[in-house]
Amino acid sequence: MTAAAKVRKVPTYCYQCVAGPDLLTVKVVDGVATEVEPNFEAADIHPAAGKVCVKAFGLVQKTYNPNRVLTPMKRTNPRKGKDEDPGFVPISWDEALDTIAAKLNAIKASGNVLDESGFPRVAASFGGGGTPQSYLGTFPAFLAAWKVIDFSFGSGQGVKCYHSEHLYGELWHRAFTVCPDTPHTKYVVSFGANIEASGGVCGVYRHAEARARGVTRIQVEPHLSVTAGCSAEWVPIKPKTDAAFLFAMMNVMLHERPRQDLDLNFLKHHTASGYLVAPNGFYLRDPESRKPLVWDTIRGAAVPFDMPGIEPALEGAFVASGIEVGADDDAWEHTSTTVSPGFAQFLDHLRPYTPEWAESVCEVPATTIRRIANDYLDHAEVGATVEVDGRVLPYRPVAITLGKTVSNGWGGYECCWARTMIACLVGGLEVPGGTLGTTVRLNRSGFARLSSVRPGADGFMDYPMNATDAEHWKSSPTTRNGYRMLVPLAANTAWSQALGPTHLAWMFVKNPPKGWPQHSLPDVWFIYRTNPAISFWDTPQVSDAMTKFPFVVAFAYTHDETNHMADILLPDATDLESTQLIRVGGTKFIEQFWDYHGFALRQPVAGVRGDARDFSWIATELAERTGLLEPYNAAINRGGAGIPLNGEGWDFRLDETAKHSVEDVWDAVCRAASAEITEGESTEGLDWYKEHGYRVAPFPRLEWYLFPRLVDSGLRFEMPYQERLWRIGVELGRRLHERDIHWWDNQLSEYQAMPKWKDFPGLWEKAVVKAGGKTEDFPFWLLTARSMQYAWGGNVGVQMIREVAENVAGHRGVIINAATAEKLGIEEGDLVEVGSTLRSVSGKAVLRHGIRPDTLLMIGQFGHWATPLAKNFDTPSMNSLTPMDLDLTDATGSGADVVRVFLRKVRR
Amino acid sequence: MTKWAMVADLRRCVGCQTCTAACKHANATAPGVQWRRVLDMEIGQFPDVRRVFVPVGCMHCDDPPCVSVCPSTATRKREDGIVTIDYDICIGCAYCFQACPYQARYKVSKPTFAYGDDNATENERVRFKAEMMNVAQKCTFCVERIDEGTAKGLTPGVDPEATPACVNSCIAGALHFGDLDDPNSNVSRLLEENESFRMHEELGTGPNIHYLWDKRS
Amino acid sequence: MSGVTQFEGVPPWLQRNWDIRAAGNFVGGGTGTGFLLVASLAGFKLGLVWPLALIGLAFVGAGLLCVWLEIGRPWRALNVFFHPQTSWMTREAMVSMPLFAIGLAAAWFNSPSLLLAAAVVGLGFLYCQGRILKASRGIPAWREETIVPLIMATGIAEGAGLFLALASLMPGALPAWAMPLFILVLAARFLLWRTYVARLARGGAPKKASAALRKAHPLIFWGGHVVPTVLLALALALPPAVAPGLAVVAGLMGLAGGWYMKIVIILRAAFNQGFAVSFAPTRGAGTPAGGAAPGWD
Repeated sequence: MTAAAKVRKVPTYCYQCVAGPDLLTVKVVDGVATEVEPNFEAADIHPAAGKVCVKAFGLVQKTYNPNRVLTPMKRTNPRKGKDEDPGFVPISWDEALDTIAAKLNAIKASGNVLDESGFPRVAASFGGGGTPQSYLGTFPAFLAAWKVIDFSFGSGQGVKCYHSEHLYGELWHRAFTVCPDTPHTKYVVSFGANIEASGGVCGVYRHAEARARGVTRIQVEPHLSVTAGCSAEWVPIKPKTDAAFLFAMMNVMLHERPRQDLDLNFLKHHTASGYLVAPNGFYLRDPESRKPLVWDTIRGAAVPFDMPGIEPALEGAFVASGIEVGADDDAWEHTSTTVSPGFAQFLDHLRPYTPEWAESVCEVPATTIRRIANDYLDHAEVGATVEVDGRVLPYRPVAITLGKTVSNGWGGYECCWARTMIACLVGGLEVPGGTLGTTVRLNRSGFARLSSVRPGADGFMDYPMNATDAEHWKSSPTTRNGYRMLVPLAANTAWSQALGPTHLAWMFVKNPPKGWPQHSLPDVWFIYRTNPAISFWDTPQVSDAMTKFPFVVAFAYTHDETNHMADILLPDATDLESTQLIRVGGTKFIEQFWDYHGFALRQPVAGVRGDARDFSWIATELAERTGLLEPYNAAINRGGAGIPLNGEGWDFRLDETAKHSVEDVWDAVCRAASAEITEGESTEGLDWYKEHGYRVAPFPRLEWYLFPRLVDSGLRFEMPYQERLWRIGVELGRRLHERDIHWWDNQLSEYQAMPKWKDFPGLWEKAVVKAGGKTEDFPFWLLTARSMQYAWGGNVGVQMIREVAENVAGHRGVIINAATAEKLGIEEGDLVEVGSTLRSVSGKAVLRHGIRPDTLLMIGQFGHWATPLAKNFDTPSMNSLTPMDLDLTDATGSGADVVRVFLRKVRR
Repeated sequence: MTKWAMVADLRRCVGCQTCTAACKHANATAPGVQWRRVLDMEIGQFPDVRRVFVPVGCMHCDDPPCVSVCPSTATRKREDGIVTIDYDICIGCAYCFQACPYQARYKVSKPTFAYGDDNATENERVRFKAEMMNVAQKCTFCVERIDEGTAKGLTPGVDPEATPACVNSCIAGALHFGDLDDPNSNVSRLLEENESFRMHEELGTGPNIHYLWDKRS
Repeated sequence: MSGVTQFEGVPPWLQRNWDIRAAGNFVGGGTGTGFLLVASLAGFKLGLVWPLALIGLAFVGAGLLCVWLEIGRPWRALNVFFHPQTSWMTREAMVSMPLFAIGLAAAWFNSPSLLLAAAVVGLGFLYCQGRILKASRGIPAWREETIVPLIMATGIAEGAGLFLALASLMPGALPAWAMPLFILVLAARFLLWRTYVARLARGGAPKKASAALRKAHPLIFWGGHVVPTVLLALALALPPAVAPGLAVVAGLMGLAGGWYMKIVIILRAAFNQGFAVSFAPTRGAGTPAGGAAPGWD
């Protein structure tokens, strides 16, 4: 570097993972990006003092990676397959875009955007957790202009996410994900929530601060994750038995502690605990208003739940009259029948689940479970209050969090329900110190969580369930995963498709089941920042299905295992090369709780390499070439680029008939953003954001909590009794059976008013037998854990990330309990084979003491065979070992990263 | 006088390697060279196991064995405590490697790049330093930042511009930097308020990374 | 990645910064200076000084050449002289100057006195080599105090062995004291070796370093000491006709034993310190715990 070198620092953001965005600066020397640093100016407005995650430091190498695809390319080998050389050859942007447009125009010309099976002819798959949204530019507006898109080919959703938490969490407390009120909590029980690896800088920073305050965090999980390492205590538990532990915690709180230790006021007035349950399992209701009844201990009578001045009974049996409304409006009239409050039923329901019982299931000592339950209750400070933004709120500094594989797949419902109910028992749901939701994705609006609180029936929040009544139920799938048909809780918003059972789209390519239309593949499939050939379950099966897709357009960073099957590769300008403005702040997953909200800009810091193009340019070109320019511009004007371009007192809408440059589009977006955040006072455009990077305004801390909004709306939490779920389950069953569909019956069993413990680990053992194996031949549980360095990043091709990740145990192989390894004669670094009933993989043994003797761990998702650099890692992945199996699919459509395997040393 | 030192709060560190990456950026180290890194250690046996993340690197010792063994005087200790290497004098004998009980030193014997040694990327070409080939290299406490920062009147450990890159980057607030000779500095206060140890203290090197492990009672 | 120092993890790992070339310096330096010492004692009697001087210097020179080949910046080799205040490597280099000057002068003038002077300087050189290792505080197997007498003893033993072997090949060249002296230095070396190994085994070295020494011990014990001693005892006891043959073998075995010992010390037992923590930290409301030094007992 010479003294005369021209050096500048350019502000931008990183959103490679769901825990973003991080605000950073990039040092540019003589036009070359060289260093990433935190944007120190943002230290005061950011929940983690403006720090930047390790992944962001990979962006410089990501930009200059010589393995990048830097020109559009087309496939010359019509045969598709892992062993087929695609024969990609460079083509011009015109040829690439015209080829794609021709396919799309042919669909338009056919007059039907749906095919004979009723599935969209155009599909698109994007990577995990919505992260691609912060890089897609105006492409969402193009998709909106096209209108009907199938997003249901999953890339990991369901098996790799907190799936049950997403669905039930949003239902119960607008919690797409859940976290503690970390800055105020004192006691956290974390069931496998690997926050130190997946919580981003905000997660790590907030928990480090909490530790400094002296928080007690108990980490319950089969292996000693990074998070367990940072916790006060690690409790090793048998995989998939977390629900038993949670049930036993409730048992202790309900049956071993005085009732007064619980927050009875919260239960009575802010939950449905007092709602009376009638003999058929539905609420006893007022015959006229159809409102659920409670037993008012003051009047000694059953009264509607919302009658002022009542004191609902929580326990006991009462004689009352009313009607009971079941599925499909089935109704029963009751006169002087014996009913009891939901809470009383809940008490009975939990009675068998003692810590001693749980010990036999979880292999955790009953004394440990009992101690943790009591400590949780003791730390809850029931009755305490705190003032937030001038309003007095309950203060309950206790929380429970659930991690992946706990909060998805079978058992996920049970765990989510128990976690939410445990919070309710102490009044700790959505209050300072307690268990909080972060954001909503199935409810609207995605960036203002509290605005999603709308009154629904029975004193609960409304929830946009997919209909299960005979008139409105979608009797056949509208997309290839049938989310509207099969999963009422998935709702029907922009994220819903991806939160259905996305593996069905892959599974049913072969042998669609009875009642399912002839499976068809989309005429055009767009893929971006996703690699399902690596990241899904049973990846060889997914790869095989991909070979049959007729026309695949991949926005390609490098060659990879999924775009290996593509027909066209389009090089989009990457993170440090393109322009986009996004919303920041407020509250958002994973632990983003800001005191500010506003906007941040991503901008080209040092030009664009090769012939890569800004995503918004690509979207505009496609819109023009498919005759969709007007609806595309209209979509941008409506908010397709993230922000509506007009508001009260400002209007920066684009001329819908004209083609606009990338800069003009984002200048308008920036002006609208400025106007929105300053309430019309300021309208600075793109140039201002290029210089300053972000713009924020204060965000009231009161909006971190749902409880006050619920109180203000006269609403309550739908706990503990799940009358509504029970009803829609019955309805869904009827609808399916009316169509003679029985292959979803197992899933229907999840719809219970109060979930019972089932032998969840046994499901995976049964899967072994079903596949023709013997359980004793597969004696180990194989699990995975997130790698902070890689999770969601799509950065396996970045050398520096690999280099630093290798400092964290497990990135070089399979983690095996050291004592187990010794018994098997396996030494550190030995080559071992790990296999399920599907197939086996091999890798180096990494011996650690922090893992159960019957458990193996493969971190992250590797096993690449095409991605440059990554294909030489020789680090095994569990994804090819995990079967896609309806038996292992829960009612929300999710599976879990668990599989029974054998382990043996490879003798060379 | 000034004595620069680092404090690593083991209670906070999560082993994320952000400091490792930030160091690689700030110092343009070759692939495989990590002047700062975080160890992932286990203590105990199942089920009573602890996992500890330990940031390591040059300890800028009070009595640096690398300085005394260095035959060329390339390795020196400055008055402010920073142990430096003059790349123009070093003969690359690696004697200092043998003297350092912290495995802090590296040597790159040929141009080494992320995507192949014949394939330097644009950013690597801009930052390649031929003078660092075949000589000893290690953490410098980002001495240029300290010198340039203090020249501007900034305070290392407080002002990011004058602070080592690893400390600036730490997402857990685990790494701190400052002047041990100033009783009011951040590091002095942290050491005053907390229990700490230094690695391999028994070897008498006087290392200047202090590890916090508990509150002082 | 070749070309970059490898970092191998938490427990001590074998240093790879000095390879066989560095070991060659200790082998050459020890044997050469040891040889000069023993030869100088014989020099007065033999009168044939120049080959002895040149043989000794050749070993030392070859060792230094090895080192020169190993350093990263060979054309800056003269910078090695910059730090006589504390660096034993500088001092070794400095001592090598008079060593070569006097040794070459001894050869030139065929002067036993100069050879003796060179041998004395050579002892200084040998001492520097011992101190080079001892100053390597990052390598427990080197920093052990007994390394200095051990390096000196083995240097002398190697020199004596070489001298014994060479002199035994030349009728009448072997002084009577040579064989007893060799037995004595072997005994001394063995005692020092045993002390050295024992001290390291008592917590002075990582487990793997001690294991490497233990593994090498039988060969060093039997091959480097017992067998040559027995052979010399036989040579002393048996008729003079067979003595030279036995002495050649014994000398070479003693020599090889020393070389092997140094290769073991420099290349196989040279595990670094590794990393350790004195305490496991509290995590929030948790409790602290004791520390650990992985790879150490």
